[in-house]
Amino acid sequence: MSYAYLFKYIIIGDTGVGKSCLLLQFTDKRFQPVHDLTIGVEFGARMITIDGKQIKLQIWDTAGQESFRSITRSYYRGAAGALLVYDITRRDTFNHLTTWLEDARQHSNSNMVIMLIGNKSDLEARREVKKEEGEAFAREHGLIFMETSAKTAANVEEAFINTAKEIYQKIQDGVFDINNEANGIKIGPQHSPASQSLNVGGSGGNQGGNCC
Amino acid sequence: MDYFRKVLGAPQDVQTNSGADTVERLCERVSSSTLLDDRRDAVRALKALSKKFRLEVGTQAMDILLNVLEHDRTDAEIIGYALDTFYHIMSNEPTDEDDVSNVYGHDLGGQFTEIFIKHAENVSLLLSFLEEYDFHVRWPTVKLLTVLLTNRQKELQEIILVVPMGVSRLMDLLSDSREIIRNDALLLLNQLTKGHANIQKIVAFENAFERIIDIIRDEGATDGGIVVEDCLLLLQNLLRNNASNQNFFKEGSYIQKLKPFFQIHDEPHSKQIGWSAQKVTNMHLLLQLVRTLVSPNNPQNQTVACQKVMNQCGLLQDLCSILMASGVPADVLTETINTVSEVIRGSQMNQEYFASVLAPSTPPRPAIVVLLMSMVNEKQPFVLRCAVLYCFQSFLYKNEVGQSQIIQTLLPTAADANSITAGQLLCGGLFSADPLSNWFASVALLHAIVENPTQKEQLLRVQLATSLGSPPVSLLQQCCNMLSQGGKLQTRIGLLMILCGWLSDCPIAVSHFLNNTANVPYLISQVSSSEGDEHEAIVQGLCAFLLGICMLYNDDTSEAFSKTALKQIMQNRIGLESFTDKLSQVAQNESYTRAAKKPHLYHKHPSEIVFDYEFTRLFKSLENEVLKAVSGSGSNINGRKSGPSTEQQYKNLLKEQEDQVLLLRQRIEELQSHAISADKSIVELQRQVQQLKDQNALLKAQKGSLSPASSISSDEVDSLKREVESLRLQLHNSHIFSNTVSDENKENDPDGASVLNVTIARLQSELAHKDEEVLSLRSELDRVNEVLKQKTSEQTAASSSVSNAEVELKLQQTEEKLKLITDERNHLQERLTKSNEENLKLANTIRKLEDEKVDAVNEKENLKEEMDTLKKEQDDLLVLLADQDVKIDKYKTKLKELGQEVEDDDDDDDELGEDNEEDLDAD
Repeated sequence: MSYAYLFKYIIIGDTGVGKSCLLLQFTDKRFQPVHDLTIGVEFGARMITIDGKQIKLQIWDTAGQESFRSITRSYYRGAAGALLVYDITRRDTFNHLTTWLEDARQHSNSNMVIMLIGNKSDLEARREVKKEEGEAFAREHGLIFMETSAKTAANVEEAFINTAKEIYQKIQDGVFDINNEANGIKIGPQHSPASQSLNVGGSGGNQGGNCC
Repeated sequence: MDYFRKVLGAPQDVQTNSGADTVERLCERVSSSTLLDDRRDAVRALKALSKKFRLEVGTQAMDILLNVLEHDRTDAEIIGYALDTFYHIMSNEPTDEDDVSNVYGHDLGGQFTEIFIKHAENVSLLLSFLEEYDFHVRWPTVKLLTVLLTNRQKELQEIILVVPMGVSRLMDLLSDSREIIRNDALLLLNQLTKGHANIQKIVAFENAFERIIDIIRDEGATDGGIVVEDCLLLLQNLLRNNASNQNFFKEGSYIQKLKPFFQIHDEPHSKQIGWSAQKVTNMHLLLQLVRTLVSPNNPQNQTVACQKVMNQCGLLQDLCSILMASGVPADVLTETINTVSEVIRGSQMNQEYFASVLAPSTPPRPAIVVLLMSMVNEKQPFVLRCAVLYCFQSFLYKNEVGQSQIIQTLLPTAADANSITAGQLLCGGLFSADPLSNWFASVALLHAIVENPTQKEQLLRVQLATSLGSPPVSLLQQCCNMLSQGGKLQTRIGLLMILCGWLSDCPIAVSHFLNNTANVPYLISQVSSSEGDEHEAIVQGLCAFLLGICMLYNDDTSEAFSKTALKQIMQNRIGLESFTDKLSQVAQNESYTRAAKKPHLYHKHPSEIVFDYEFTRLFKSLENEVLKAVSGSGSNINGRKSGPSTEQQYKNLLKEQEDQVLLLRQRIEELQSHAISADKSIVELQRQVQQLKDQNALLKAQKGSLSPASSISSDEVDSLKREVESLRLQLHNSHIFSNTVSDENKENDPDGASVLNVTIARLQSELAHKDEEVLSLRSELDRVNEVLKQKTSEQTAASSSVSNAEVELKLQQTEEKLKLITDERNHLQERLTKSNEENLKLANTIRKLEDEKVDAVNEKENLKEEMDTLKKEQDDLLVLLADQDVKIDKYKTKLKELGQEVEDDDDDDDELGEDNEEDLDAD
């Protein structure tokens, strides 16, 4: 499985907003209505294509509970992208975004791409946070925004892929130092500058001298 | 330092006292001195004392030293001393002064560790020292953290986890260019990650897999030293029981990166020397690492995914070649077999590959056969035999095709007298005198038919030729005979397990079993016997289980032992209580629980072998049903007597009976619906059986068609091998040739020079030769001149007397001579020009070799000059000759003028010539 780039993501946000379900929907294309509480972090991976290039996403799904905060903080530094998730049916999860963002900005590298996600868009009837509010928050803090539903899979692909596109663009713009793996980006094995075999330009003409 | 010197000179008991005093005074100096130098000296002295007076230094200096760490961190030296002091008082490692430190009890270091980590800030302080690059700070910090982790692992893990970037900082140590720090960091990370899934995940997130695998590779993989061992231990720490990390490991393509480490170079010299102990350890750990990824205890999808990758990247192939390689130590081989087992277990693709592996023997045999040969061989190490059985089981696990292939080798149709088959080996093992072989073979056979009714029926067809003259006996009957003959515990348990597995879910086998009337009485006698130890109890329990199975899967074809008959016998002869008791003893046995834990046979001693994992599963699933079959619906027995009755009694009875009738009707309805569904399922099952049979036939046909192909391909392989061999030989030859050629090339230049020298020498000699020739030519010319002079004088002298003809003749002769000389000269000239050309050529060669060039050119130029002068001389000579010619012409004309006949005598001519010459002179 060769790839051009490898991006490391983390998923953060309050407990119960659907982080693990988003990951499961993205990696396994299925929805699990009753999901165990995440303990610490769980890992998932998938290959996507951007601009005709294979990109491997390695995703660490973190526990939302406060007690795991110290553990999840360790993952900020090495991540290239973060999905910050709240639940549109629970206002408090939206209110906590500022804390999450501060935490993320403090511990991550400054170039980390953050995607704000309002999850559970299928539960329109129980909506407590308007889409406009999410958009406004994202605009204010320079984030990308999207509403998703891990249950119906609406926008789930897009959320992960758009984040990757943003990172990819930053690489093209030279913002990321791609040789520093601590940024959560790695160049694929076959794309690293390999030593090309040089063609030696002919051995000097050794003819002549036999003209008599 | 004075104090210190005093201490060293003091006797033992005084030493302790004065030691404490010294420590006290040093502590005071550290805390009160305002000068950094003084403090540093005092801390250095404390460090020196800290090994010998751990208790004193630990109790008195801890806070003071912590203070130093906090406030003197600009001075690397004092920090280093303080950290070393901490290390000494925390470390429980035995030192040179072991007797002294032991006085304080065993876990002094642990107690100090507790005090130290009571304030979590102390640990953060230590972690912050890791930012310091100075070796005197970083190294002792790593050592101190390691010893703290060793002493109080759980507590410290929690503290480090909470410190921001704590784990990340420790991970960064792996990139330290100083090897000693990197290596100690490996030990530190090993302690840090032990049993803590969250830290394991963070460490993995920090690219641990990549970095560790890089270190392993840089250190020479399995040929590397203890650092490789530490790396492999760390990898295992990170992966064991950590599904998330395992998934990451697989997704990060790290399995592929492990692959090169498994390539064993089959060098002849390594065969003689053997494997170093370190290499054996490294290989062992590497294999265990693979097993961690495909362990049957992992989540199944995880294991399946890893198995697939291992096949695709060629890791399984490498493992199989280690299996078949020579010179591999027995314990590595055993672990390799275990590893192969778990890589193929339950994975159809990998099992198929394994079945195709051939051992490099003559003729090539399937690896499975070669392995089974070891299994039934008493001389092989016990653990190796266990591993082979595990491998065989894993090969057959969820592998109906494999099962049928094995059973096929037992059937008479497929019998091939020449080659050894798995079936022959299993039968041999089953009836060998070695109880362990009996056990291994029966369990192996059990796995060939487990959960596979078709193969159970096929196995019934197996007939054995016992001895000459007597009729063949079926395998089933032979097993029963052996069982009834007694024998060792493992033999009987093995036989009972295969019989239980065989008869379960297979009514035909049950009826075969019951047809021999000796079997049931034997079982009854075993179960009803009350004597015996723990082991006999197992046998009795298994006999009860077998009896239960005979009831459970009884199709009532045997009249003597129909379901009801059996029940009757059991209840009368054994009793329900006793039967239940015997049956339950099986599961209560310690070896049963041990075997039920995991499929891997992790026995250390042959005596530990009792139960098989697969059998425990069978037992678990059928135990209750057997009990139900034996005890349930036992209420059929009607023991009531009808006594003197009243109307009420009759009414009651009637009501009871009516109720019963109702119940029975319901029961009948239930049973009818059951029967209908059962019929349906029977039809379906029959269809399935038919399908399976068809498939089987198809497979057989395929197999038949495949086998010639495979023989052809083996021929092809042989010829290819031969070709490869010859090519290799050619390669070798050409190699030798190229070597000699290159040698020649090396010597080429000096040779060329010498060749040139020789040519020059030759040229020189040639030139000398030509010089000589020219000289001789010149002398000849002189002579000719003289002769001419003589002639002219003669001519002039005898101008009147000598006849012209003579003169003419002489002239002709001289002309001829001259012609000869000119020819010779021309010839020489030609040679000279040729040599000139040669010289030019050589000049080209000379130019290429700059060393020799100057001399050669100079010489050559000299030669040229010489030659030029010679040419000039020759030219002169030519001119002279021309002059002579002219003169001769003149003489001729003169002679003619004189009227003398040219045809005169030579003498006259001479005289005339002399005369002429004289005349000329006179002119």
